[in-house]
Amino acid sequence: MAFDTLTPSLKGIATRALAFCKAEFGSNSLAVDSAIHKDIPWRPTFSMKPTSSLIVAVEVADNLYPEALRGAAHEITQFDFPIAVYQACSLELYQSDRGEARVNLLRRYGFGLITVDADGRVTPQFAAVPLAQHISKETLNAAAAGLNRSIRIRLNAAHTAYAANAGQGLQLVGQVIEGLIACIAKQAADEGLVAQGAANGDLADAIDALYTSPGFSQQRAALGAARAFVREFRNTASHAPKNGKQAAAKMRRCRAGFLNGVELAKKLRQVLQAHDYQTKIYVV
Amino acid sequence: MDTLMASIRRFGIQVPITVYHDDDHYVLIDGERRWRCATKLNLPRVPALVQSKPSPLQNLLLMFNIHALREQWDYLTIANKLPNVIAHFRKENGGAEPTEADLSDITGLTRGQIRRCRFLLELPEKYRQLLERELSLPKPLQKLSEDFFIEMEKALKTVGSRIPDAIPQLDKARDTLISKFRGGAIGNITDFRKLSKIATSIDNVGVKEAKARRAIVTILDRKSGVGIQEVYAEQFELRYDERKITLSVESIYEYLDAAARGEDLAIGTELRKRLASLGKLIERILEQ
Repeated sequence: MAFDTLTPSLKGIATRALAFCKAEFGSNSLAVDSAIHKDIPWRPTFSMKPTSSLIVAVEVADNLYPEALRGAAHEITQFDFPIAVYQACSLELYQSDRGEARVNLLRRYGFGLITVDADGRVTPQFAAVPLAQHISKETLNAAAAGLNRSIRIRLNAAHTAYAANAGQGLQLVGQVIEGLIACIAKQAADEGLVAQGAANGDLADAIDALYTSPGFSQQRAALGAARAFVREFRNTASHAPKNGKQAAAKMRRCRAGFLNGVELAKKLRQVLQAHDYQTKIYVV
Repeated sequence: MDTLMASIRRFGIQVPITVYHDDDHYVLIDGERRWRCATKLNLPRVPALVQSKPSPLQNLLLMFNIHALREQWDYLTIANKLPNVIAHFRKENGGAEPTEADLSDITGLTRGQIRRCRFLLELPEKYRQLLERELSLPKPLQKLSEDFFIEMEKALKTVGSRIPDAIPQLDKARDTLISKFRGGAIGNITDFRKLSKIATSIDNVGVKEAKARRAIVTILDRKSGVGIQEVYAEQFELRYDERKITLSVESIYEYLDAAARGEDLAIGTELRKRLASLGKLIERILEQ
């Protein structure tokens, strides 16, 4: 592979990064200096298709978080096929980034980073997440602001799982929601607002019991949203996509579901506060 | 590139690239960065001006006038292309060697720029490769620049012509200076001008040749860890300062002498005050 348009030092980095990516992701549909699609305003240095539902693309550049990536991020996110994007650069450039300001931009927007040292050793510094799936730590923190510590800790764990597997991460958020519903139902049953049987039954019964209880008439919006969320996230997380288009759609749904779940957790916390209930959730 | 790419993404390519048609393809004359950005941005088409095919010399000179004058080419790129220009010039002018003025005329470069390029052209291959490697690094990681080599070569040339035996092996001297610059013992590329001043101090400020030689040998000794600035400041700066002040004194003396002899020179009140104050200061210093 030529990489003829690159400077000699970038050419060296591209060659090493390509060898690393071939070993890591295989050579299926390997393309050098070729567009992924006419709708994506970026031509990666090289790209490959490790699975039938993922494209890995790499941009070799001598400045961190280059314009080529910055400008194409939106179209990559919206594209009908999941694309995980890495930047490859020299280890020196990575180390010269004061306070990791530029490196953190890559991280924040879901790009991965591969470095190559002067001896040609390749190190993946952090992994890329398909951009359609990516939720940055900053986005999570902003969405979870106002929640108490124990819920935030569980959401952080869900976020870590989400970065590796969107479906699993979404399921963990679902467990937080289930935990909050169970917590509300148990304390409502102790107060006699719902029947003990409904509180100890399955989740749908607990939500229905709370929803119909006059004691929760002011919180029906949150409870209705919880019912819709539980139904939706179970479907989204459990359905295996049959092709790249479905995979991209699932990722987008997982992303929306994850953020909806965080939003819903805030609403359920307000329900707890409105009734002076304690927040005790048990998530395995 | 990033700025241009952002601009093209936002406004498109406003100035067409220039190409000429050659057989079954086009050859780019002007707009390489625009072309590369357009490719990176996956643009389906770019505006282009199609010119007729130029002769090899015309093509080279066109590139010089487009790129070198806009300072997009670095000196090394220009230096690497100069031998081609010279060869084509000879071919088109019956074997005549172009003078510096000829080269300046046809390339649009100043004679100073051509001289600087020649310093780079005359560098031994291994140093040119070293410079090329350095220039291919991202800007923040570049330590050695074209200016570094140009300043170093100028200084070594001056030393070589004044005190040849101070540099028995030129490449060894280069290696030492590069190593000291990388290590920080030589803090600035303009320090090389002080190395030249040490060599010319024999003629300019009457320093003994042995002293200047010793100083240069110390600077060129890899083990000494001493930089140019330290040696210059310690042993030569005062002599140069003295020469500078002597020239100023001579100039003032001449002016006052002419005024004293009644030539058409008037001394105003303000100057009179300053001279009186200077006179007192001089007396005080001379009495010490």
